[in-house]
Parts: sequence; structure tokens; C-alpha cells
Amino acid sequence: MRSATHTLLLLLALFVSARTVAQEIAFTASVDRTTFAVGENIKLVLTLTNARGALTEPDLGGLVVVQGPFESSAFNFINGRSTSTISRTYLLTATRPGDYTIGAAKAQVGGGLITTEPIRVHVEKGAAAAGGGQAQSQQQQKDRDLFAVISLTRNKCRVGEQLVATYTLYCRYNAIELVGYELPKLTGFWAEEIDMGELQWEPGLQTINGLQYRVAIIKKQLLFPQRPGKLHIDPATFTCIVNRSFFSRGAELKIRSNAVDLEVQDLPVNKPADLCGAVGDLRMEVTTGPTTVKANEALDIKVRFSGRANLKLIDDPKPAFPSDFETYEPKVSDKITVNTGGMSGSREFQYLVIPRHAGEYSLPPITVSYFDPEKGAYQQLSSGELVFTVLPGEGGATATISRPDPTDVQQLDRDIRYIRTGDLGLRPMGSRLFGSWPYVAGMTAPFALLLLFLFWRRRHDAEHADVAAMRRKGADKVARQRLKAAAEALARGERDGFYTALAQALNGYLADRYALAPGEVTARVARERLVPHGDAAGKYAALMEACELARFAPVEDRPRQQVYDEAVELIARIENNARA
Amino acid sequence: MRTYAIILALGIGAHASAGDAQALADSAAAAYARGEHRAALALYDSLNADRTSAALLFNIGNCHFKLNDVPHAILYYERALLLSPGADDIQANLDLARSRVVDRMNELPAFSLGGGVDRFLAGADNDQWARRSLWAMAVLCALAAAWRMARHGSVRHTLLGACVLAFLVLATSVALAYRRNAELDTRVQAIVMSPRVEVRSEPRRQATTLFILHEGSKVSVLQQEGDWTEVRLTNGGVGWMPPASLVRI
Repeated sequence: MRSATHTLLLLLALFVSARTVAQEIAFTASVDRTTFAVGENIKLVLTLTNARGALTEPDLGGLVVVQGPFESSAFNFINGRSTSTISRTYLLTATRPGDYTIGAAKAQVGGGLITTEPIRVHVEKGAAAAGGGQAQSQQQQKDRDLFAVISLTRNKCRVGEQLVATYTLYCRYNAIELVGYELPKLTGFWAEEIDMGELQWEPGLQTINGLQYRVAIIKKQLLFPQRPGKLHIDPATFTCIVNRSFFSRGAELKIRSNAVDLEVQDLPVNKPADLCGAVGDLRMEVTTGPTTVKANEALDIKVRFSGRANLKLIDDPKPAFPSDFETYEPKVSDKITVNTGGMSGSREFQYLVIPRHAGEYSLPPITVSYFDPEKGAYQQLSSGELVFTVLPGEGGATATISRPDPTDVQQLDRDIRYIRTGDLGLRPMGSRLFGSWPYVAGMTAPFALLLLFLFWRRRHDAEHADVAAMRRKGADKVARQRLKAAAEALARGERDGFYTALAQALNGYLADRYALAPGEVTARVARERLVPHGDAAGKYAALMEACELARFAPVEDRPRQQVYDEAVELIARIENNARA
Repeated sequence: MRTYAIILALGIGAHASAGDAQALADSAAAAYARGEHRAALALYDSLNADRTSAALLFNIGNCHFKLNDVPHAILYYERALLLSPGADDIQANLDLARSRVVDRMNELPAFSLGGGVDRFLAGADNDQWARRSLWAMAVLCALAAAWRMARHGSVRHTLLGACVLAFLVLATSVALAYRRNAELDTRVQAIVMSPRVEVRSEPRRQATTLFILHEGSKVSVLQQEGDWTEVRLTNGGVGWMPPASLVRI
């Protein structure tokens, strides 16, 4: 009996408590957050507890219902308490930033009306909507459920600077199949495809203008604008089949993306001569193999460019090898990766050169310039000076053995000859020798000197002539002196005396003149001595003969006076000649 | 005493300025060697204000050439060549400068006995024949004096022959020196300095354009008529052009 009463009491208590709880009716509205960005979603949940009734949708105050309402009901029985809840969930979004008020929701419960409190929410400017908003809204007008967008990482850049173009497909259809697409022709660009792997839909949904889309990046391209100005990218076309199912063939849709314009600035005008065409961030590394080699052995030089730039456009930096090096085209090896971050990696030029002659060679530094868009200026890379020592190879200092024919010296270039240095032989402007007074003086001076000389010579000659006359006179005098005895005999008319005196005088004269003893004067000696005086020897002989004849025979072939004159003339002549 | 001081001062001044000129020339050569052609040109130009020489003009021409001013380079090479006809390096540089000129004309064949003969007839520099004539005169006078002195017949004959030869040399060198002088006095050739100039058939603006000449071309000036100059091109064509675009060699 006691246990039955106990059980009854317990049941009663349970019932009473259950009844009391069941009476607590509540109606609430709540959002998961009160601040959100344009394009994002918030969740509005209206909950009616412990009652059944008709719910009236609240005034959303400008917010848009993205999804919903989703209704759910639950009945809980916990520790003897039963709770029933009915909830209605809305996903809301805003298209424009601002403050919104979600009005009161009403619930008709029994005979009464329950209302909720209004909720104020704040909508910020969204990050996603700020980008290609315009282009997207244009597309939306076409087809709200399927559109494609081309977007660039930047809409302003320099020539040669790399940027990424992304082709994105937005879709609201459940079943979609991309059949094909046609990317625009890129005029003015050099494009490099970025490998994206298989087409994949992004896991999350993206909300654009309050609508949720599935997103797939179809293609990414690395673009290098090649010319300055406004470059235009035409729309891309995509062909999709939507809503294909087991029961339906679906519908084929062809959509066009937006077109994009790009402002491309030219590089600054002061282009260095060694500009290599790269724009970005570049480094250069020059490595050489052994720098001491023998002639005819190969030298190995590697020039490696690395960094983040359009490496594929870098040209051979063309090191200035000495012209008698045998050079070959460099071997180019690339380690270039192209991804969404751009083009990066390295490009290496390997030069194989063969020096043909021994000697010390120095290679001028290899310089390469590129444009750094971040600094907005050209940057020059330079290697150090490279010095090579070439030792004599096998077979002598100049190993020309491998060259069968001697080659002509090549004229590599032409240039003017060098200036003249040292004394330039400067003269006052307009000075000229011909016609100047030194010239006239130089011409007249020798002539005047000649005239002076001639005048002097003439006078000298005149004087000289007098001296000769005097000498002749003197000689004559000497002769007459010598022949004085003969002249006296001639005057007296003494025949023998005349001839004897004449012969004595002649012999005495010769002995005196030629410093001979009186006995030495013979006809032979006289002939010898008188040779320089022309026919004097003959004359002497004739005179002596005449004297002999006249002294020993009474024969006189010539008058005595004539003989005397001849003797005088002979002596005067010898005397004159001897004095001259 | 004062007069002596002035003469001394003048002498020193002249000497110092000659030294300065050499110093200027040296610094210009150094600037040229460093590749500072503009500085070298300024220095050489300052020297050329009151002095000249074939070497100086040649160096100025080189500076202009290095500064890519081909017409001025040609002008100065021509001037240098006028002072030192037949100089090998001047001719070589002039030929190279001419190869950069736009106008290529078929030059009329000028009367020439060959480069060597031309060079000989012109002399190595302006004064060479004048100097030779002075020497010839001196030698002639000396020979005449010797002839007058000589006694023996054979010596006198030889000396007389030498005198005649010396007289011929004298006459030739005076004639050539005179010719050279006349050449220097009548500088009729000019270089076109304007980048482009129209040569017209008559000395007026509306006349028919006969040729278009470009900078660096050489013309001979025939006559002047108001603001127009009549020129003869090296290919023989004759026309009128404004003298402002010409500079005489």
C-alpha cells in the first residue's frame, strides 16, 4: 500500500512539473553576427518555443534572401521536461553597404500575437565585390546563373612586366559540363600558359550580388606586354552543357566573358645599350672553369641569369672575346618555372671558346641591364674582369697547326686615325713664307752677296793684272841686267864680245835660277830644266847654237839685235813664269 | 733702358704664350685620349683662334668626327689638307668621313698626273716650294761665284752647267710657290653645313629645284648674287643656294 502511494505521488509531481514547463512559450529572432561585408551571408533564425502557430516573415529592411527559409522542428524530452521548438532559418545578404534593420517577426499563437525584437545589422564594403564588380554585374544581366570573368592582377604595368590573367567561370547550375572554350587572341602580348592541372571546382561557394556561385578557374596565363599603350583583351568564349541528367539531355550554353583593357607604360627613355629585354628582378652570375689553359684547349665560361623576370626573353649577352679566339654559339639551358607567382628560375649561357695563341687575355666585364619595375629604374649587372692565361700548347707558342691556311688579318671595324700629339707646329694665322719680307730678303740676300763678290773679284782682278805687268817688268829688268855686258858689246859693235857675253849671261842666269854650279849648265841639263817653260828649251838651244856659230865661224844668219831681243824675251819669260 | 725693358717683356710674353699654346695642346691631347672629345675640341678651338697648323686642324676634325659632326669633320680635314697637301693620315680620315655623307656624287675626273706627282707639285706644306726657291737661289749664287773663281776650263764648264740647272730649279720652285700661294688665296670650295639644302636653277626662292644636297657635300663657289651663291657640284652640276648653309674651306 505504501509503495503504491509513493508511485502515485511521483507521477503526479512529474505531471505537474511538465505542465508548468510546457506553458513557457517564447518567440525569438537571432542572427549569427551583426556586422558583415557585402557579398557575405548571415543567418537569421526565428525560433518559436513550446507553441504552434503561423510565423510571419519579418520586414528584412533591404536585405536579400539568398536561401531559405528552411524550417525545422524539434521535440526534446530531457529529464522529464519536454520542449518543442520550431525554427525557420534564412540566409541573408546585402548588395550595398550600410545599416539595416530586420523588423519584428510575428507569430500567431492561439489567440495571441507574439513579436520579436527588431535586429540592427551593419554591412561593410565587401572585398570581393570591389574587384570586377562592374564586369560581373554586366554579365549578370546576361545570365545570372552562368558567367565567366577575365581578371588581371593589375590593370597598369610596364612593357615586359609580367602579370597573370585568370579566366574564371561562375555557375549556379547544379550540373554543368564545360565542353570547350576559346581564349582570346592576345595581340601585343607574349603569353605563357600556367599549368593548372585538371579543371576543378573550388570547394566553397562564392557570393556575388547576393547569389551563391560555384567557381572554377579555367585557365591562368602569364602575360608580358610587348608594346606600350592601351592593350585590349577580347572576351573569351566558353561552351557549357547544363542540367544534363539521366533523364534530360540538358541545354548547351555559350557564354562570353568580359573584355579587359590594360594600360602599358613604356620603359624610361634612357635605355642603356646593353639592355637585355628582361623586366623584373634579375641576378647574374659568371663562372669560369680553369682560367689557365693551354692553347687549343677549350675555356668554359658560364653566364647564369636568375630571378623573377621574363627569363625566356633574355638574349645572349655576347661577351667580347678576343677576335682570335675561336667562339661557338652558346649553349642555353633553362630552368624556368611558370606558375601563378610569375616566371622565375634561371637561364644559363655556356660559352665554349678556344684560344689559339698563347698569352695573357683579359675579357672586359660582361654587363647586362634590365628594368626593375619596383624601383622604376634600369639596373646594371656587371661581372668582374675575367683574366685568362693561355700557355703555349703542344707544338709551339702559336698553335696554328690546326689551321691549314694562313688567314688574312681581318678588318673588324673602321675608325679615323689618331690625333697628332706633341708639337703641332703652330703658326700665327695666315702666316705664309712666299711673298713675306723674310722671303724677299732670303731671295735678294744671296743675289746681293753675289753682286758684291763679283764687284770685289773684278777689282781684285784689275789689281792682279797690274801685279803681273809689274812682275813682267821686273823680269824684263833682270834679263836686261843680266845681258848688260852683251848690250854694251852690241852697242860697241863687238861681234865676239857680244856673243861671248850673251852665252855667259844665259848660262849664268840658268845656273843662278836653278842653283847649279857654272860648269853644270850643259845643253842637256838646260833642256831638262826648261821643259815647264814650253819651247824655252828650244829657244835656249837655238840661241846657244847661234852664239857658238858666231864665235867660231864668221856666219851671222840673223842681226845681233834680234838675237839679243830673243835672249831678253827668253830670260824674262822664264823669270816671269818662275815668279808667278 | 725703358725701351729695352719693353722689348724684353714683349719677348718673354711671346715666349710664354707659345709655351701656353703647347700646354693647351697637351691638355687637349690628354682629354682626347681619355675620350672627352668635347673638352678636347673646346681646347683646340681656343688654340685655333689665332694660330693654325695642319696638325691642329686635323685634330679638330678628329674631335668633330668623334662627336658625330661629320660635316665639320670634313671641313676641318679639307682645311688641314689644304695646309698640308697629300698628308696620308688626313686623307685617310677625310675618306672615312666622306663615306658617312648622304650624297654620293660621281665626281668629274679632275686633271691629275697621279697622287705622287700632285703631292710633289703641291709640296709637303704651304711653304715648302718657297723654302726650296730660297735654297735654289742660294745655291745658284754660290755656283755663280764659284764659276767666276774657277780657272780651269773643265771645272768652269761643269760649274756653268750646274748654274743653269740651279736656275731651272729656282724658276720651277718660284713658279710652284706662286701657284700654291694663289691656291691658298682663292679658296673657292665650301662644305654644305645644313642638313638639307635645295639647289635652285635661279637665284630666287620660287625657282625650280635642281638638286637637294645634304650636309657634308663639297661644292665650288662660282659667284655671289645678292642672297644667293652660285655653286658647282663635284659632279659638274651648277645651281644657286643660300650662302648661309655653306662654310668655305
